[in-house]
Amino acid sequence: MSLTLYLIAGLFLPLFPLSMLFNQMFARLRHPWLRVLLLLAWPQIGVLLLSQAADPVPDWFAGWALLSAAFYAYRAIALREVGLWIGYIATSAWALLWIGVVEPSLHHLLALGFSLPLAFTALLTGFLEQRLGAAHTALGGGMAIAAPRFAGLFVVAVLAAVATPLFPNFFSLLATLLNPAALSPLFALGLVLIWLLWTWSGIRLLQGIVVGSPVRNGLQDLSMTATWVYSAGFVGLLLIGINMGGVLL
Amino acid sequence: MSPAMGQHLRIRAMIYVAGEPVPFFWPMRSFIHHNPLHGLEHLPFAEAVDKGAKLFHARPFLPRSQYQAYLSDGRLDKAALISQLQSFACSREPLPGIDLASWALTLLQATEEPLIPLHMPPQPEQVYAALQGQPVNISTDALSSQVIPQLRSELLKGRPLYESLDALYGTSIGEELDELVIRACLDFFDEGQSVWVMPDRQEGFFSAWRKVAGGPVQALLKQIESSQPSPARGLIPEQVIDHVMRALEVPEEQWVDYFTREIVHLHGWSGYIRWRSNSSRYYWADRYPGDLVDLLAIRLTLAWMLIRQHANGQRPNTARAVEQLIESRPEETYLRSEFYTGQVLPSMVQRVDSCLSTGHAQAIQKTFHDYLHARQSDQAQRLAHALSELAGKSGQQDGFKRLDAAGLARLIQALTDLEAGEGMLWLRAMESRALDQLLDGISLDAAEPREKRPFVQAAFCIDTRSERIRRHLESVGDYQTYGIAGFFGVPVSLMELGKGSEMHLCPVLLTPKNLVLEMSSSVRTDEAAVTTLERAMHKLKESVLSPFVTVEAIGLLFGFDMIGKTVAPDIYNRWRKHLHTHKPNTHLLLDKLSREQADSIVRAVQRAVIVEAAEQELGMAPEAITDDMVKELREAALGNADWDPGLAADMNLDDAKLTKFVLRLRTAYRINTPFARMQLEQLARIGYSQEEQVGFVRQALSSIGLTEEFSRFVLLVGHGSSSENNPYESALDCGACGGNHGLVNARLLAQMANKASVRRRLAEHGIRIPDDAWFIPALHNTTTDEITLHDLELLPTSHLVYLDRLRNGLTSAARLCAQERLPSLQIDAARLDPASAFLAARRNSLDWSQVRPEWGLSRNAYFIIGRRSLSRSMALDGRAFLHSYDYRVDPKRRLLENILTGPLVVGQWINMEHYFSAVDNERFGSGSKVYHNVAGRFGVMTGNLSDLRTGLPAQTVLDKGRPYHEPLRLITVIEAPFEQAQAAIDSVVAVKRLVRNGWIRLVVIDPQTTRTHIYDEGEWVQRPALQNTQEALIAS
Repeated sequence: MSLTLYLIAGLFLPLFPLSMLFNQMFARLRHPWLRVLLLLAWPQIGVLLLSQAADPVPDWFAGWALLSAAFYAYRAIALREVGLWIGYIATSAWALLWIGVVEPSLHHLLALGFSLPLAFTALLTGFLEQRLGAAHTALGGGMAIAAPRFAGLFVVAVLAAVATPLFPNFFSLLATLLNPAALSPLFALGLVLIWLLWTWSGIRLLQGIVVGSPVRNGLQDLSMTATWVYSAGFVGLLLIGINMGGVLL
Repeated sequence: MSPAMGQHLRIRAMIYVAGEPVPFFWPMRSFIHHNPLHGLEHLPFAEAVDKGAKLFHARPFLPRSQYQAYLSDGRLDKAALISQLQSFACSREPLPGIDLASWALTLLQATEEPLIPLHMPPQPEQVYAALQGQPVNISTDALSSQVIPQLRSELLKGRPLYESLDALYGTSIGEELDELVIRACLDFFDEGQSVWVMPDRQEGFFSAWRKVAGGPVQALLKQIESSQPSPARGLIPEQVIDHVMRALEVPEEQWVDYFTREIVHLHGWSGYIRWRSNSSRYYWADRYPGDLVDLLAIRLTLAWMLIRQHANGQRPNTARAVEQLIESRPEETYLRSEFYTGQVLPSMVQRVDSCLSTGHAQAIQKTFHDYLHARQSDQAQRLAHALSELAGKSGQQDGFKRLDAAGLARLIQALTDLEAGEGMLWLRAMESRALDQLLDGISLDAAEPREKRPFVQAAFCIDTRSERIRRHLESVGDYQTYGIAGFFGVPVSLMELGKGSEMHLCPVLLTPKNLVLEMSSSVRTDEAAVTTLERAMHKLKESVLSPFVTVEAIGLLFGFDMIGKTVAPDIYNRWRKHLHTHKPNTHLLLDKLSREQADSIVRAVQRAVIVEAAEQELGMAPEAITDDMVKELREAALGNADWDPGLAADMNLDDAKLTKFVLRLRTAYRINTPFARMQLEQLARIGYSQEEQVGFVRQALSSIGLTEEFSRFVLLVGHGSSSENNPYESALDCGACGGNHGLVNARLLAQMANKASVRRRLAEHGIRIPDDAWFIPALHNTTTDEITLHDLELLPTSHLVYLDRLRNGLTSAARLCAQERLPSLQIDAARLDPASAFLAARRNSLDWSQVRPEWGLSRNAYFIIGRRSLSRSMALDGRAFLHSYDYRVDPKRRLLENILTGPLVVGQWINMEHYFSAVDNERFGSGSKVYHNVAGRFGVMTGNLSDLRTGLPAQTVLDKGRPYHEPLRLITVIEAPFEQAQAAIDSVVAVKRLVRNGWIRLVVIDPQTTRTHIYDEGEWVQRPALQNTQEALIAS
């Protein structure tokens, strides 16, 4: 019974190939707020399901999760569409929630830590999709010149999404790494490698979107109000991250 | 001639032709303004800018939004624009219910972006269907048939192969290649910036590069070498080019275009190499030769290597293979081209990405058809919507709705043609306003007769910055000013005090024959300790290892220096100057040496060398070397006589040793007849003959119409700039002096004009300079507006009493000029009084963080050739080159022809440099100064590796990202009888071509008839007689 439950949870804390469901759904959803909702709610369902299981999670699930996370982190490097990239990073991050499962309230917090920065990035990506029709590096970069306010925020958003220190997912990652139940050199190495792959893929995305010469002219930048709201959001994320660090570590 | 040699010569000729569109790029230390499209000046302006835009991937006109801004603030003549649009509408078949001129005006005024897409525009019938609310009928089969020719034209036809591959596979071979080529250029062309230099540079660019190239390149070159008929002879660049072009399977008829595209890729470096290989007297070029053939051989080899690496057996690696790809898989090729060039339709970007990643033929086929359908449908809908909006804005909705499909097609075609040529319409409307403004202010009143001569007459450079200072000088006292090319008509090659090389002080169009030496008239002093220390620190900084230690040891000193320069640049720099040794007073050796003087100098030098040699080689004490010994040794070395038998004994040598020493004097110390002859030839270049001096003074004074009523003081004011930390400093100096200060030329002409013997000869030619008239050289610092007088130690004592008045006048003018100029440089300057403005301008010149010490020649628009009275009553805001000219003293129009040949052509270069740097600063200009780094001591690059930045920096032509310089073609006004001016223009071929092709807007004001003649669109158009006499101005 528990195994069935774990497999269902594997859809929500995605394990390859069960992860394909989430990624298909996420790719089809175009509205930024729906994406935000999905990013915030999806792993929480998984964590909730795990908390209902009577037996502890079998050890081999952790290995499966680590491989899934590494697989999606690796695949993210080749991605050029920002929405898909967010989905892959989310899949890679949430899979890590299988490693050293902790008590339910902290586990929910860990999941939220992974989701929050990605939700913010998804929201900001909505701007690009609205202006260009898609958020894809093939549409030409040069946002730093064409829309400097957006470009600045987008850089912060991608840095947040790849668990740059002080953002909530950094502390979630750190808490996973330091979890006594999962503490092993192999897992630690795997986690660090996954983190490195996230960063690599994020930088490639920034290269494709922010730098270079703009291909399309006349792009309207984010309004000053929206810029302030997003900036405040990122400051809020940092504060949440610092607070989460205190709770999780 | 062997077939191989014939082919090599053909390649060389092709490269020569291919390089023609790339303009020369001179080293930065003598910045020369040039027209970036100089190579296309044989074409009409509109055609040339179109071709140039394609070649350099640049924009030839401002964006429409900028012209709209000009229109709204009155800097563009709306009436002229409407008139052109009406002509445009009249030239087309009328459309019922459509006022095409009104549509066109609305399109230009109310739409910021172009309406008609350039890339596969929708068919008019599709737009018509969209307008009728019907489904857009797209025939993808018809579109498919367009795809192959389009791909062929975009990816082949002289396009470098790696560009095509980058466009098809998203690789960045072009960038990698540019980086490798730039590194090779930096290593080879370095002029002393690098501590570790490329070895064997004297063997030439290609050979030296080949020796240090990496393994894969060596392997390729060995492969090429072994394929040659006689490999043992070594490889020459032409062989490499021939081999690579054949390996890339580029058809030979496309080679010239292919080479041009390759050369233009790094047009800064190419322009520099072109200039360098054409400069026979350039030291670095003589020592380390390199030309475009070398460059192309290197570039093509590297490109071939990268293409092979990236192709990896899976992608096409020849032009033929790309052609086959287009033929066999047009759908995939088209989608790839759309995807990797950023043209892809956003709504389908992910689908295209996926199908190209998987590579499934069926998926690609289906995506291709869906994509074409979506693209055309999307474009048709967009265009239909935009046209409806435009119809609403122009108030012609009813007529628009009544249009049938054929009418709509004609309307779309008309708007397409309009947008293709709109740049010229805007430009002409801007020029029309500028022309009106000028002609409205011009006065034909002759100067009133004077009761007494002016206090001072001052000849300034024609530079636009002189206009302001001249106007203010005239306003503060009895000053009469003139404009003349800043080298004052005296081309000179200067050997500056303490420098070992010659500096050409004249326009680059000329090569000076005469050499002038600068000699110190002060006692020689030791170098200041601080100067020595600074030099030592620079050496430490440039070394490879020492900076690591230097920073720890003496970094703090640099810190103090930085604080001083940043916090109080004015005070600190003045204090710092005191620590250095000042340049001593100098004289210029102006007169030619007589044969006896030259012989005497050669003899003196030979004697000094012999004494030095005896000390060095034989260890003799100076007092032991007598004059007789030196004389005998010299004669013996020259082979004029045998030495006295007692000489060996006197020198404590045996015969064999003495013979050896004499031989050594002849060979190592070059005491021999051929060398002495060469020295004499060199000495013959020094100075000017009496005839030449008379000719120069006469020519200079006549050309500006100053032939009588000379004042007590005649100032010859050269100009230069002063700024800190500014590689572009020479761009702010005098262009007529080869990008140097104009003081030396002013000093020379003043010295000549002050000589009694010259004045006597001038009087024979009708130019009588009174004895009390004294020519004083001066320097106008255009950054601070300060005018400093020079060679005052030569001033007759009778003039000293007037010197204070003169200085006060100059100071007042400088302050007023700074006050007028400063608001455009800093926002808070509007409140400054003249004295504070002057101090603020001086601070600008000393501030090392100041990226815009002055605006230079920005906003130049006019070139006025005529009497000062023509423009004296108007403020031209530093926008006009003013060349004084009095047609009454030039009946044979020789003077006018000279002005057209030299100053006007240079003015046009300056104007075009500003024009193109303003319209596309990234491609034609040099971008922001903030990211510039000096490269090889002759140019600047953006960042640490880029093309050499040609053109002007953003800080010179843009203000807050918008053009400060209004890009206009040079409006040239000649004040002369129409027939006389016309004949002068026709007799100067270069100018005639510029005028006929529309690179210059020419206006002739005939003072005899008061009519204005404008050359426009291939013909002379007459404007009504000028009414701007004083009475008319007063009445208005």
